[in-house]
Amino acid sequence: MTGAVFRGRPSTGDVLVLLAIIGIAVVAAFPLVWMVLSSLKTSAESMQTPPVWIPDTPNLAAFGEVADVIDARRSFLNSFIIATTTTAGILVTSLMAGYAFAKYRFRGRDTLFAILIATMFLPPIVTLIPLYRLVTSLGFGASLFGVIAPHLANAFGIFLMRQFVAGVPDDLIDAARVDGASELRIVFSVVAPAVVPAIAALALFAFVYHWNTYLWPLTVLQGSTDDYPIVLSLGRLLSYNRGAVNTGLVMAGATLAVLPPLVLFVFLQRFFVDSIVSAGVKG
Amino acid sequence: MTLSRSRTIWVMLTPAVALIGVFILVPMVLTIWLSFHEWSTQTGFGTAKFVGLRNFEDIFGPISVGRDFKRAYLNTAIYTCLSVAIILPLSVLLGLLVHQSRVTGGNVLRTVLFSTYMVPMIAVALVWSKLYSPTEGPINQMLSWVGIGPQPWLSSPDTALFSIVILNVWQQIGYFTVLVIAGLTQIPTSLYEAARIDGANRIQGFFGVTLPLLRRTLLFSTVIGVINAVQVFEPVALITQGGPANATNVLTFHIRRVGIERAQGGLGSAMAVTLMLSLIVAIILIFALARQKEDRR
Repeated sequence: MTGAVFRGRPSTGDVLVLLAIIGIAVVAAFPLVWMVLSSLKTSAESMQTPPVWIPDTPNLAAFGEVADVIDARRSFLNSFIIATTTTAGILVTSLMAGYAFAKYRFRGRDTLFAILIATMFLPPIVTLIPLYRLVTSLGFGASLFGVIAPHLANAFGIFLMRQFVAGVPDDLIDAARVDGASELRIVFSVVAPAVVPAIAALALFAFVYHWNTYLWPLTVLQGSTDDYPIVLSLGRLLSYNRGAVNTGLVMAGATLAVLPPLVLFVFLQRFFVDSIVSAGVKG
Repeated sequence: MTLSRSRTIWVMLTPAVALIGVFILVPMVLTIWLSFHEWSTQTGFGTAKFVGLRNFEDIFGPISVGRDFKRAYLNTAIYTCLSVAIILPLSVLLGLLVHQSRVTGGNVLRTVLFSTYMVPMIAVALVWSKLYSPTEGPINQMLSWVGIGPQPWLSSPDTALFSIVILNVWQQIGYFTVLVIAGLTQIPTSLYEAARIDGANRIQGFFGVTLPLLRRTLLFSTVIGVINAVQVFEPVALITQGGPANATNVLTFHIRRVGIERAQGGLGSAMAVTLMLSLIVAIILIFALARQKEDRR
């Protein structure tokens, strides 16, 4: 970055490109900016027509109200438990399976891999009905474990890990074998350190996905509000809202729910982008 | 030696294979099996009664079950086509803006675009329902500044589905833009120089070099775009409930309503099987179309 906006003397085309970039960035950011601004309005301001853009006296009253309507701390904790446990499971299962697919040769390997990868393209709704019955029958219904268990392994993770583990030199693995290390030990203390960027990318991806996911928790928790993650509790804010319209309350809740994935992204966006690129291009 | 080796392989594979098997592949087979049965989702699988193709006759039949399903199917098809038709060209345009190096700001744009992809769909739905509000929403206010009258957005059957397409495009476009950027970085700059030397201007360079070399990326984007689009759920479940007048009743919402809320597991499974078969056909068609274009070149 040189600090200069243009390289050399700007042409008319350059100025148009710059204007387009600014314009699109503003349009893209607008809904989130509106969300934060609305969360700071008084309830009178949020009902005004035409709408108020910048609140006169920005205040956090709406956030306090969120805590009155839903158990926000509990919801956050639930979201955190769901996202971290699922992510940890995905990392372990993906690393092990990815290692096997990348470094072992065995009969049926490519067929098994193809079947697993095909599940990546299956929309969750296709299996939702029997999955709901299955998890409920196993006794995990209406519990955090029921939300977590079905997602402890996924095809994208296996795919990503196979791609990156394939690049780890065989010599490194053979040297560890000569030293008498077990295969499990090799996976976690030789291979894993060699693919840290891929692990980081997968971890972030899984965390954000399972922080945000809505359909499965809604289905399996069946109204057990104590176990609701924050995205489900947001829905309750809206239904509470039906009587007296309080946009500020809903926007404050939305702001809270958006923060963790967004903060993670801002600090670690390089990994996100890399993982999409490697999944898209190498695939 | 071989015994311990094959044991190691199974130690490595069992966790992932068992989990995916139990929680995805078994339910997949069950969905197909249940689609030929009458079954209440509230009871065990053992209570399912074989009814042959009756579920499929019902969901394509003239009674209300069939009318609702066919409408949801049509809505999903329209929604999917619109989403992909907007996302593909827009992601190429945005990808070019981020990728170009003549003006700074491309990376900032990428960050802004991709950050919306991190926002939970449920929050997206809530925020946009307020943006779209006919009286208190800023969108109609801004339209009035340029002399356009208030639009009904989510509250009219004519505009509701399209309004959901727009919010979905807003949420997802960053992901597809990053895919395009990845594709653009794979194109060697020497090709552009060669085209320039041949006397091609920038627009000819785009259609002669960029677009053909992005074909694989765009094929991947199309497939992912279709699969993502049929999953639209949160805005419908939370804001429109499938309305007004069934205008936003889409398959993910409808299948869940029938199969889980009304506990008609057999009917819901038949709908899910229909969706899956349609997706397979759609993806085969997309690939066939892409291959045909390749051959013509």
